[in-house]
Amino acid sequence: MRHSRLLRMGLLICCATGLIGQTGRDAYRQAYNIWQQAQANLERDAGTGGDPQVAQADRAAAAVGSFEATRVAYLKSAAAEAIERRKILKAPATRSSPDLMPPSVGNLATVELQTVTRAIARFATDKDPAIQQLRQSMERERVALAALMDTIQARQKTVAATSAAAVALEQARAKTSAAFDDQSSQLSQTVAQMEKEGAAWAQYYDKLAGAIQIPNATAPEPAPPVSTAPSVLTEAPRNESISPVPLVRYVGEWNYPVANGIFHGAQPESVDLEVHENNGHAGGTLKMRFKPSPGVKDPTLQFTFKGDIAATPTQKFTLMTSDGTPGSIELIPGPAFNLLEVNFQTDPRANKIRGGNFILLKK
Amino acid sequence: MKRASSVFICAALLSCAAVHAQDASQLSTLEQIAQKRTAEWEAVAKDMNERMARILPCDPRALAAVTEVSRASEARLGALADYLRAVSARAFAETANVRNLLDAEEKRAVEADLERADASQEQTAVNTQSEDLAQSARQRTSLEVPQKLLADIAAMIHQRTAATEQQAGSADAAVALLRALVEKFEARDAALREEFAASEAERTRWNGYYAARRSRAQMECTITQIGARSQGKQ
Repeated sequence: MRHSRLLRMGLLICCATGLIGQTGRDAYRQAYNIWQQAQANLERDAGTGGDPQVAQADRAAAAVGSFEATRVAYLKSAAAEAIERRKILKAPATRSSPDLMPPSVGNLATVELQTVTRAIARFATDKDPAIQQLRQSMERERVALAALMDTIQARQKTVAATSAAAVALEQARAKTSAAFDDQSSQLSQTVAQMEKEGAAWAQYYDKLAGAIQIPNATAPEPAPPVSTAPSVLTEAPRNESISPVPLVRYVGEWNYPVANGIFHGAQPESVDLEVHENNGHAGGTLKMRFKPSPGVKDPTLQFTFKGDIAATPTQKFTLMTSDGTPGSIELIPGPAFNLLEVNFQTDPRANKIRGGNFILLKK
Repeated sequence: MKRASSVFICAALLSCAAVHAQDASQLSTLEQIAQKRTAEWEAVAKDMNERMARILPCDPRALAAVTEVSRASEARLGALADYLRAVSARAFAETANVRNLLDAEEKRAVEADLERADASQEQTAVNTQSEDLAQSARQRTSLEVPQKLLADIAAMIHQRTAATEQQAGSADAAVALLRALVEKFEARDAALREEFAASEAERTRWNGYYAARRSRAQMECTITQIGARSQGKQ
């Protein structure tokens, strides 16, 4: 199990990149519909039901696990994207510097205008034609300065307007950014809440399945069965699992993802695992085909395993391959309800796969 | 003003991609250059007339003094234009980003609305499950434990439904704020365009003034020479 942590880390990366399931809303809605179909009328039939309802509870547990995992992945992805795109609201908006419109510019033009105006006035009564030419030249200069003064004042106004717009923008930006921060925080709380709900649903279905198998003295007599099969109420009650995690995390049919599977050591090509449980005893079969690797001539392996359910999250069983080689297998619940890590080892055999470690998806 | 403005917009758009990555330090550099050019112009412009008053009209230094100040003025206003162009390109890119954000957040608000509807649907479903299980628990007392768990789940979903209700409302409010913010960005951009157009108009007027001042210096020289020739003839 030394590679478990590595596998779990890889798995988390896969979850983040959408390996386990799509992260769109459609994906979780689809998972929700599957769950609703799986659990249809389960509670209504729980009062009188038996094995079919126990199996239905297990299916519903798997379906709600898949739904919650898909939805949490979707919301986390949506939250991460939102935080990323809202980063632009964190930076102050660009504005032009008002320092580039110093008062000295206007003052300088004003002084020039006053000087030339005074000079024009001095030559106002001079009849000398040359002086009159000079005065006309000064007049043109005065007109140019007057026009310049107008544009300077106009620019001063635009600089003031830009500054005012920048201040208003900055206030609005800060307010909007704070509003989106609140939203991000609310979304994170919702995700945390949903994760709690996921765990609660798993516990609920486990207890429900257990409760359905407990006969009740006050329960009405069920109608005589048509078949010769014994009534579910007369069967031995399902033992309460001593495992700290619901049995549905191990029991069922699992396989290796077609793409981007997580493994350590020999790379699986296909894996099919079936796990069943009865009165605290578990068993199952595992069929595998591995990709070609040096020293391995036979890439296929098949074995059965069995053992008691232990009071630990990791369940360890003994195995026997189809050609009689013994070994051991560990089943470790993954971080999502529809994930199971498998780690097995067999006694050494020439040209055969001796061990494997990979993550399976629930069918 | 309009022409300068449209030329400015074209120039800004053309340089938008190139300037998009321009960081604040580059803007700061351009601003420092503009400030330096302004100081240099002020230094030579403030006493131009005093200096010219001490130079004879036809002394080449008179025209050179006007030319020097005119060049300093052009350098100042050119640096200012470079700075404002860079500020505007960066500002326009920001506005485009905020518009894109608005698009994305409008979609997110629609999703939040759908999530509210989803939560409401879950609430209804779990209520039905609870009612059914309550009926079944009358037939099978062992169901009381899961019944309690289901009640807890229903309470959690109820709480979450209320939260998603609040989130959908706050998403709409945030989008409204963002829409108003886009308007503020656009107003800032419009103000920058006006500022740029005004600086270009001022640039033209300063050039016009210095041309007129040069013309006066030439006129002073001309009439001085006419006066000298007249005195020579007498």
